[in-house]
Amino acid sequence: MAVNSAINRTEKPTATLPRMITVIEPPALRLQDLLNNILKLVRYRDLIYTLSVHRIKVRYKQSVLGVSWALVQPVALMLIYTLIFSFIARIKTDGVPYALFAYTALLPWLFFSTAVTNATNGLVSHAQLITKVYFPREILPLTYVCAAFFDFLIASSVFIGLMIYYRVQISWAMLYVIPIVVLMVMFTTAVSLFFSATQVRFRDIGVAMPLLLQLWMFATPVVYPLSAVPARIRNIYDLNPMVGFIEGFRQVMLSRQPPNPNLLAVAGLVSLVLLVFSYIYFKRVEANVADVI
Amino acid sequence: MIDLQFSHVSKRYRITEEQEANGGNPFINKLKVWRSNCKDFWALRDVDFEVERGEAVGIIGHNGAGKSTILKLLSNITTPTSGQIKINGRLSALIEVGSGFHPELTGRENVYLSGSILGMGRREITEKLESIVEFAELKQFIDVPVKRYSSGMYVRLGFSIAAHLNPDILLLDEVLAVGDAAFQEKCLERISELKRTKKTIVFVSHDLGAVERLCDRVILLRQGEIHSIGTARQIISEYQQLSTAPVAHRNSKGPAILSKTAEITYALFQNAEGVKTISGATGYPLVIRLGYTAHEAISDVAFEIFFYSQDNELRCHVTTELDDRRIDLMEGEGVIEFMCPSLSLNPGVYSVGATIITRGAPTGSAIDWKDRFIVLRVDPGKTTRGAFFMNSTWKLSGTKELENTECEMRERTVLQ
Repeated sequence: MAVNSAINRTEKPTATLPRMITVIEPPALRLQDLLNNILKLVRYRDLIYTLSVHRIKVRYKQSVLGVSWALVQPVALMLIYTLIFSFIARIKTDGVPYALFAYTALLPWLFFSTAVTNATNGLVSHAQLITKVYFPREILPLTYVCAAFFDFLIASSVFIGLMIYYRVQISWAMLYVIPIVVLMVMFTTAVSLFFSATQVRFRDIGVAMPLLLQLWMFATPVVYPLSAVPARIRNIYDLNPMVGFIEGFRQVMLSRQPPNPNLLAVAGLVSLVLLVFSYIYFKRVEANVADVI
Repeated sequence: MIDLQFSHVSKRYRITEEQEANGGNPFINKLKVWRSNCKDFWALRDVDFEVERGEAVGIIGHNGAGKSTILKLLSNITTPTSGQIKINGRLSALIEVGSGFHPELTGRENVYLSGSILGMGRREITEKLESIVEFAELKQFIDVPVKRYSSGMYVRLGFSIAAHLNPDILLLDEVLAVGDAAFQEKCLERISELKRTKKTIVFVSHDLGAVERLCDRVILLRQGEIHSIGTARQIISEYQQLSTAPVAHRNSKGPAILSKTAEITYALFQNAEGVKTISGATGYPLVIRLGYTAHEAISDVAFEIFFYSQDNELRCHVTTELDDRRIDLMEGEGVIEFMCPSLSLNPGVYSVGATIITRGAPTGSAIDWKDRFIVLRVDPGKTTRGAFFMNSTWKLSGTKELENTECEMRERTVLQ
């Protein structure tokens, strides 16, 4: 009986609260459902928070360097790329020191690639949970995006250090970085949702991921400047939203200019369309994910 | 007030049979398999029922009848193929969700993690944390990573979180086999407490005894359809009669050689008064009568009876083989009675099989063997927790009698 009292003590009367009516139906394409799903995410915000923190904690638990791993990766890549593309290949960077040039692009790129890599496995690696408990499944890939964003913020500290070291002047134009980052997070979320849902049926996606991201990086001006891309392929080249984000990032931070509006508009539009499409597709897969996974 | 409503719910599963690809392009083969080899399996077909507020409804049926599909649909893990389910209020399943734990995180961190997966807010968890830890009996280990936990601790913590969900509608699976006896007691206490506070309960189980104790109404599922709905007692006995049918078709490995020089002709059960019955009760007497016909005189035989649970596990076996008395059969008919002063089997439905063997004969040969040819229902009687009922007597030794008892014991020791 001691047990009962132990539980009762913390229980509040819930009878007065209005009851929520849940309707479970076959999946259908309705705008109302889409809005409800987004509202549901708001209700589950605590889970998004807890799981994101969990991702960060787990990644760095029992490692000696801990959170500084978030710095080691971009800094190491920056050094390697500087060695290869500046000392050996001698890529022209329009007067910007190569280390700074590379890091400015690596920062957003690593956010994107870390988020997408981890999120792709997000559903499959939680199969046990998915077959036991309900929660909006998009939370799983979303939390990987959140965790990658945390790394992005940590790694930004090095960027600030580099800017001070190379005496980059501060300007109001740098505030353009905020809409760029927002759009980039949208795009990353869209890609993460799409791949994680597809991975449920086709595990090939996960296997192909490292190769795909490698190719994607070379199709994005990370190690070379956008000006080096031949003009005749630019029409197709610019459709990659990461081009707009990374070039925008560089322009805003290094040239202290507003980003190229056309480039960013294309990237933003592609991101938005893809996000809506991916979310609908994800919800479609989610309906029966427990049967397939 | 209706808390739960299933309207014409059907659920189809696509079963793809992985075919041996005979050469050719593996990718094309995969696509072919995908297109042509889908078999439809209807786990539920047009299921329609309602559950009133405060009602406890049991769902029973054989394996594959659709019980777990209903459970999955209710907890929104999967969606129906057609039809609609309406749930009025917060529904949660009392399940062990240790699988949501992360080994590197401490018990406390895992409570937050698992709790929020189950739909609790962070504030709510903080409020209940102390009680959760107390219920799980893990006070001094709560800041230890759960990878250092024993499996028992792991399960207790997982279950304790689920027990603190405080839902409007409670979904119960066969969960009571969690932890040790004392912890099981707590869980049962928690469930009856929820029932007392008029929570709506849906209980999916094989354990007919538990269903009868807990549920007001029972739904019997058969091959994905509702076979019948009614009071617990009524439906359970109906289920039991249904159980007889598939028994005969079960093919299991029996003795390869049957000499059939004698045959078992029938089996029936009697209660203590010698009245024929189809059910016994845990802890109460039961007589099992086996009728046989011997086609010739056979010397030194043994009779054996097997009790199988619904999941086809041998639960109990009685035999004359180990007895000192020798049985020689004369040509003609006869009856053997097994008297059981108190039935040890727990409540449930058992399939009963019997065999006649020659004593000391190698396994694989028998005189006759009737596999699971009759069904026995065991009702809750002196039912206890645990795997079986143990017949026991007791004696109280208070402070006054203590001396006497001790004296007695000393005397006995001396005598020995």
